[in-house]
Amino acid sequence: MAKYFFSLLISIFCCGLVTAQEKIYQTFKDTRVINSHSVETLPKRKLDFRVSHRFGDLAGDNGGYKTFFGLENASDILIGVDYGVTNHLTVGLHRTKGAGSMPDGNSGLRQLLNGLVKLRFLQQTSDNKVPVSMTLVGIASLSTAEKIEDNPDIIRSFPKFAHRMATHAELLLARKFSDAFSLQLMPGFTQRNLVPFEDENGIFSLGLATRVQLTKVMALIADVTFPFSERRVSANGFYTPLGFGLEFDTGGHVFQINLTNATGLMETDYIPYTTTNWGDGEFRLGFTISRLFNL
Amino acid sequence: MKAVIFTFTTLTFCMLMAWRWPAAEMPSSKPQAVVDWVLSKDKAVDDVLMRLGDNPLPHPVDTSMRWVSARAGEELVKFGFGRGPGGFKTSRQSKHFVCTSCHNLEKEDPDLSISDPQARLLYAKENDLPFLQGTTLYGAVNRTQFYNGDYRKKYGDLVNVAQDNIREAIQLCAEECAQGRRLRDWEVESILAYFWELGLKMEDLAFSDREWEDIENALAGNGDAEGVARLIKRKYLAGSPATFVTPPEDRKVGYALEGNVENGKLIYELSCLHCHENGRYAFYRLDDSKFSFKHLDRHFSRYTRYSVYQVARYGTSPLNGKRAYMPNYTLEKMSNQQMEDLRAYVKEMRK
Repeated sequence: MAKYFFSLLISIFCCGLVTAQEKIYQTFKDTRVINSHSVETLPKRKLDFRVSHRFGDLAGDNGGYKTFFGLENASDILIGVDYGVTNHLTVGLHRTKGAGSMPDGNSGLRQLLNGLVKLRFLQQTSDNKVPVSMTLVGIASLSTAEKIEDNPDIIRSFPKFAHRMATHAELLLARKFSDAFSLQLMPGFTQRNLVPFEDENGIFSLGLATRVQLTKVMALIADVTFPFSERRVSANGFYTPLGFGLEFDTGGHVFQINLTNATGLMETDYIPYTTTNWGDGEFRLGFTISRLFNL
Repeated sequence: MKAVIFTFTTLTFCMLMAWRWPAAEMPSSKPQAVVDWVLSKDKAVDDVLMRLGDNPLPHPVDTSMRWVSARAGEELVKFGFGRGPGGFKTSRQSKHFVCTSCHNLEKEDPDLSISDPQARLLYAKENDLPFLQGTTLYGAVNRTQFYNGDYRKKYGDLVNVAQDNIREAIQLCAEECAQGRRLRDWEVESILAYFWELGLKMEDLAFSDREWEDIENALAGNGDAEGVARLIKRKYLAGSPATFVTPPEDRKVGYALEGNVENGKLIYELSCLHCHENGRYAFYRLDDSKFSFKHLDRHFSRYTRYSVYQVARYGTSPLNGKRAYMPNYTLEKMSNQQMEDLRAYVKEMRK
């Protein structure tokens, strides 16, 4: 075991020297799967303008025809840009509305400014000497919402400035098994600086994402994230964020349409705050438009 | 102590500046004694022509201009930026392309007196070169005509100033072909200085023993110097011919020629993948997966932007926000037969 671990470490630290083998590209086509990040980083000097949207519940109590299957509601909206500083380092800045809430209705952070740093430090090679690609992701979310005074029971009371923040870090390990199939594991840790009474600040999680290429342009994608927390079980009103989608890559544009029970778009939002259940019809339509620019 | 640190810092700074400062590296213009000069295969064609009394080429480098450097020109051609005042990098000339996206820097034709795409493809394979839309920049200074033939259809009046002026041709390429900024004067001169280093050599031209003897005699003053100069010029093209052609009338039938799969493989690898592999210059990616071949095959006969007939013969247009377009292939850069070879390869690989 120690031998394998040592080999892995050597591979990681020598990744810059891995040039002789042919690298595997496009394990995923986009830098996001559905809710989660993919192992991909942007090429150097590419700017990715992104718009993501999550509508309201498609069915259930808040869905159906009365909200035109959720299309008249917006759970969360993301507008932002990512930029490839190098081929292996991407930074990003996004604005999201924020959508998560506790089962009792106490809302999570709202009106978020999200910073992103993504570093790919290992890339899979065709000869399998490097069997997986690895990327580190760091996300910091800052709520710019107005402070609500005199109500210390809610998150938006923000006793300190730091309480406006939540952060998330994760390691992405992905392998492209064939031209048609990729799989990704995502161990992560989410830290919220202010949580409701008896909730926990730090949550470990493990995600799984996959991509099945159907045609040159279209692929089926899915991801799921399991929070490791005794509180985050369905008995307490929390559910596992799970999404399925179709992705269209037309060369320069990536368009994605998906169905997910997560309301929030950022990891700091949907990992701790998914309280909507597929079984109750509380899933929604979502889409992402990504457009690359040369800078 | 402070004085030591100050002195050390100043000296280090000066050394760094000196190191970064681009030295003007021009071809030597020192007059050489005729007696020392002997005709050999490595002699520059331009040099030989001058010695035969031919007129000098109309684009000598202006060495009086500051910052001009063949090395800066080489960096501009290969990487899209040069080193200007102070030795610091200039802004990138184009966000989308560099010269080598579309032009080789090596000899790319076995016989420089004709433009034969099939001979060029095989030569490219033998010499590990890409097979590109643009004419090689090797020997560019020996040419006197630019943006020839049907390029007028594409660039209109912009060709007027560029067709017999290499500096304007470079600018047209920079602004229109590469969709980048206009080059500064010293940058154009630097590129030109680099091009002079890529001038044709006598070994690049195919001479018979008899012809070589005639050249030697003429240089020794024993022959028809003017006639020999004409002979040398017949061995290479003064400009690249360019014939724009349309896709086949019936795209399902194609050009009604039988494709050669092996040849198509060469075109796919040396041409298509040069730009489309891992998004090197194009947003639309291609690889050796079945998905790529199926997609190309399905669209070959259609009227879409994924149709190879469409994009190879018409190219695509640079649009706002998406200026990385695809230049078209003229008939001299890809024959109709080669288009069918490519189609045959794509069809074979999708199985």
